Amino acid sequence: MSGVEDDYFMQQVDSEPFDPDVDDNEEDQPEQQPRKAVPVAHFDDEEDEEGDVNDEEEEEDDEEDDDDDDDGTGRERERKRAKHRHKRPAVNRFLDVEAEVDEDEDEDEDEEEYGRDEFIADAGIEGDEDDVNRRAAVNARLDRRERELDDQDLAKIAQNLHERYGRAAVRYTGDMNEVPQRLLMPSVHDANLWQVRVKPGRERDIVFSLMRKAIDLEYTAQPLQVLSAFQRDSLPGMIYVESRSSQQVNQACKGLVGIYPSRGITLVPIEEMASLLQIKKQDLTVTPGSWVRIKRGKYQGDLAQVMDITENGEDVGLKFIPRIDLNPKDEASLDGRKRKKIGTGPTTMRPPQRFFNYEEVVKVYGRKQVSKRNQVYVFQNDTYKDGFIEKDFKLSALVLENVNPTLDEITRFTRGQDGAENENPVDLSIIAEASRKAAISVLQPGDHVEVFEGEQAGVHGVVDSINQEVVTITAVGVDIDGQKIDLPARSVRKRFKPGDHVKVMAGQNADETGLVVSVSDNVVTFLSDMSMQEVSVFSKDLREAAEVGSGTNIVGNYELHDLVQLDLQTVGVIFKTERDSFRVLDQNGQVRLVQPHQISMRRNSDRAIATDSEGHEIRTNDNVKEVDGEARKGRVLHTYQSFFAFLHNRDIAENGGVFVTRARSLASLAPKGTVIKHNGADLSKMNPALAGGAQTGGMVGSGTMGRGPRDRLIGVTVAVVKGAHKGYVGAVKDTNGPIARVELHTGNKVITIEKEKLRRRNNDGSLEPLEGGNFGMGPPRSFNNNGGHNNNRTSNPYQQGGQAGGRTPGWGRTPNPYAGGEGRTPGWNQSSRTPNPFGDGGKTPAWNASSRTPNPYQDSGKTPAWNASSRTPNPYTSGDAGGSAWGSATPKPNGWGGATPRPAGWGGATPRPTGWGGATPKPTGWGGATPKPASWGGQSPARPVGESSSWGVSDPSSTWNSTPAAAATPGYIAAQTPSTGYIPARTPADIMFNDHIMSAPTPAPGILPSEDDSNSWLQDSNNHNPNSWLQDHNIRNKHVIMEISNTRLSGWRGGNLEQKQGYILSSMITGNDATAQFCPLDSDLGEGPITVPLSYLAPVFPQHRDERAIIFDGPYRGEEVVLRVRDDDDDVWTVGKYQDALSPTVTCAAEKMVKLHV
Amino acid sequence: MASIPSQAKSKQLRACLLCSIVQHPMDFRKNGCPNCEELMQMKGSPDRIGVCTTTYFDGIIAVIDPESSWVARWQRTSKYVRGMYAARVKGRIPEDVEAELESRGIKYRPRDQTDQD
Repeated sequence: MSGVEDDYFMQQVDSEPFDPDVDDNEEDQPEQQPRKAVPVAHFDDEEDEEGDVNDEEEEEDDEEDDDDDDDGTGRERERKRAKHRHKRPAVNRFLDVEAEVDEDEDEDEDEEEYGRDEFIADAGIEGDEDDVNRRAAVNARLDRRERELDDQDLAKIAQNLHERYGRAAVRYTGDMNEVPQRLLMPSVHDANLWQVRVKPGRERDIVFSLMRKAIDLEYTAQPLQVLSAFQRDSLPGMIYVESRSSQQVNQACKGLVGIYPSRGITLVPIEEMASLLQIKKQDLTVTPGSWVRIKRGKYQGDLAQVMDITENGEDVGLKFIPRIDLNPKDEASLDGRKRKKIGTGPTTMRPPQRFFNYEEVVKVYGRKQVSKRNQVYVFQNDTYKDGFIEKDFKLSALVLENVNPTLDEITRFTRGQDGAENENPVDLSIIAEASRKAAISVLQPGDHVEVFEGEQAGVHGVVDSINQEVVTITAVGVDIDGQKIDLPARSVRKRFKPGDHVKVMAGQNADETGLVVSVSDNVVTFLSDMSMQEVSVFSKDLREAAEVGSGTNIVGNYELHDLVQLDLQTVGVIFKTERDSFRVLDQNGQVRLVQPHQISMRRNSDRAIATDSEGHEIRTNDNVKEVDGEARKGRVLHTYQSFFAFLHNRDIAENGGVFVTRARSLASLAPKGTVIKHNGADLSKMNPALAGGAQTGGMVGSGTMGRGPRDRLIGVTVAVVKGAHKGYVGAVKDTNGPIARVELHTGNKVITIEKEKLRRRNNDGSLEPLEGGNFGMGPPRSFNNNGGHNNNRTSNPYQQGGQAGGRTPGWGRTPNPYAGGEGRTPGWNQSSRTPNPFGDGGKTPAWNASSRTPNPYQDSGKTPAWNASSRTPNPYTSGDAGGSAWGSATPKPNGWGGATPRPAGWGGATPRPTGWGGATPKPTGWGGATPKPASWGGQSPARPVGESSSWGVSDPSSTWNSTPAAAATPGYIAAQTPSTGYIPARTPADIMFNDHIMSAPTPAPGILPSEDDSNSWLQDSNNHNPNSWLQDHNIRNKHVIMEISNTRLSGWRGGNLEQKQGYILSSMITGNDATAQFCPLDSDLGEGPITVPLSYLAPVFPQHRDERAIIFDGPYRGEEVVLRVRDDDDDVWTVGKYQDALSPTVTCAAEKMVKLHV
Repeated sequence: MASIPSQAKSKQLRACLLCSIVQHPMDFRKNGCPNCEELMQMKGSPDRIGVCTTTYFDGIIAVIDPESSWVARWQRTSKYVRGMYAARVKGRIPEDVEAELESRGIKYRPRDQTDQD
């Protein structure tokens, strides 16, 4: 076969096929020309770096093989060739001279000369012998040929010729081509197609295998009965075999790897056979200027522009922005030899897109690596022009569909190497061109369009109807107004004018709406309703829309302004949502475009706290401003690690108004009213060092988060009293509103049950309401049982007092000191059972005797006295006379607490009561026998104890009030409670300042009212009393001298005390009753204070120089003064402050002053 | 009988634009196109091979019995030698060949299935 081919080849080249000599000679020419050309070609090819080199080499070998074949054996040929030059002249008699000359023209001059020399020499001397031999051989061949020709008849020769030339020509008579395809449809007489399942990816191999198998078995006993087999790239995992029966298919498939006959050999219906072969991939055409993307390699995904296409459409010359690694990792890459290893590896970072810059590249790679040819740089075998790389790619390595170049990319392209606008910017219409088909599909009737090409260019109108690619528009214009024009859809484009309200239908800005601000050709720029930023889009992607852009803020699970975790170190705030991605500003201020799947989680910073520059807390939604830098204001969206704060300010256009800053550089815009509670606040959370130390991202203050006040019921043992579980006992695990979860003691079962079906179960098995106010401590129950105090239920300080009583023996349990101490007051004995000694004390006759006013203390159940005094901030003032003081001296118990300069002494709680009780060495002291101030514990010097009267007399009341707290508060606490003994146990000061928790729930009217408040109240209610000034807080503790008057008329005490002067120890105004403890100056009346109604008292005015007095009326009310000079007018004195001679003096009428007892 | 390429996977395989036969370029160079060498003149000429064949084809058909195979008939290859053919070939033959076909009154049917009638 090869022989035939060879002959054919030679004959084709040769002009005289039957002349063997010429054949031989001429053969050199085609032979030598390729030889010269080939190396050059190879050089070029090698430069190409592509695998073509191998190909070329193969082809070269191939060519040599060809040569060998052509010449029979190579050696012989070489010899021939060597001889040839020398022999040529010798055979010249058989050649015409022109041929020789022709050949010489191709030779060098030298050779020509050499040849001539030879020619001359040959002719005469050399080669005779050879010449003869050669001639003989040729002659022999010729003879043989002639003989053969003679032997063959002409017909045979004709056939021979036909066979040689005719083959190709016969093939292309084109008879097959004339038949329409539809006539080729399969008929029932044709063999069937069988679908065979194969291993995906091996379809082509298997078809080839089948072919080889068919050839192998062709002449065996059992040839394959298969007519054809084929595979389509678009049908993976299957091949089709044409055969008469499935049996034959099975046989053919037997033994081939990758075929799964077991999965069925399916017959293809006749009507489907043709379509299998008609499967057509969408036709992809590239034209110069169009955009493509690169599928693989370093430039994967990069946009490129087609520059040219080879004729067969396989290779495409592209122009795109190079990615040159300007920081090559290893030195090896610099010499360029191992460059194939770098750059494309998956581990190496892809260099960024960057225009080729000669200087930069030379700096990194050296001058040798870059060469310049004409206007083009060559670097690492790539060609760079104008900053772009120009490179050929196979069509299969490119993405031609859905390229969708973005405006960004296009503008990068249009921008030149230096960032300057190119002279001939890329025409954006190219992109539009690429997506023309899409443009047609977005046209809708009613759209305003304009014709931008063709005869009607410039006309605009409204789309009337669309039929395939033909659009009918109603023209709007001067002369052709209203005419309907049919146009190709591709020639029209949507038309917008500034002011139109549009909506984006596609692309990354989809769903944005806005107002068109400018239109240039097919690029429309509009001002987004949402971001207030200008957005440029193609008009094809726009539609007129009335609605104001929703543009959803939610993508996936994430929402605008969410704080999201991007990776271990990075969090960010979403400031813009796009169709399926986000723009995120991370804590370093970088803007990232992330897909939802790149977000690992959303973070909740609602409870995160950071500290601002002043050490105040910053929480989300606080309005803050920067104290340094740009002094931007904003609302805190999130804080991160107590260090970064993400703020939002609508006025800032950048990044949707979101920016990140350090929390420490912020200051609150509205100073916070809340003062940091030093005792309550967790200081550690305010320490950024501590908080920020949690690098792993632990939430600030997470330790204290989410822990509300623990439900008091949790852990309480309860019994179920209703329902299915009635009788069960369990422990409360959790409560939620009216529902509790109870873990039953039996069965280890947790049930959910209404609280109302539960009862608290005490240790002794008794039940009580669940929320009965007790804290489960038990002891206060004894208090509750005391009739007078039942109203003190939950959250009453007395209860807590009771609780405290758990530690300190309660009144009821300790021997009542009064009971033991004073046998003469039987009431005291009664009080041994009750914590309220005073209530019972009210029953003592002394009480009745001491006052005519209704004695509030008599009614112990209601203890109105307590109530009264509870409203009386200063019970001390009412203290007047000794014996009666038990009643009026209600404050006394308070005094014990309050007046004590050392509340702690009392507050010791345990020792004190006993001190009061058993330990009081002089219980009889109460009886009035021995004044033993020390017997009271010596703790309160202000409380000299002696006879009952001594209470008042010896009381240096000024010291009582030395502690205002004592003056103000104890009255309240004591006033309300019979168990005052407990209260003093905790010093009033404690209660007031430290233990406000206890005092807070006190239902006492006017929680710890200030003195002034109470005074005003007093004054209000006692306006009718002329001596109400006694209650003035600056006066009431002064020993002002009063005179008893008006008693004669009323017969008070028989008027015996009329005109008696004395000083007032204290005064008290309660309801309708206003009394004072009056200590007579006249010793006839005894030393004990007498309780005198205020109405019988009149002030004694000072009359002499240097007398001390106190002003009780006028602007200087309450001032303690010394009379200095008497004015002309008798009643007016110039007075100066007591003990302050230098102080300015004022004048005051004498009747506005009251004499002080010194 | 055309030569059957040894490697089915080879990216180098080329299909003749006129008859759609698939061969290794080496075979084209060595033997030309077994069906249409007369027109294509590819033998020994890489340039001609470049323009007359392409790697851009889809689907491989093993034509074992061209005369009786419907597939071959449908593909209009039943008069051609046995061998591997492409189901669809992208591209057109060079203009000179097209002109030659025209001059012979032969209808040229591109193999890219663009015109089905």
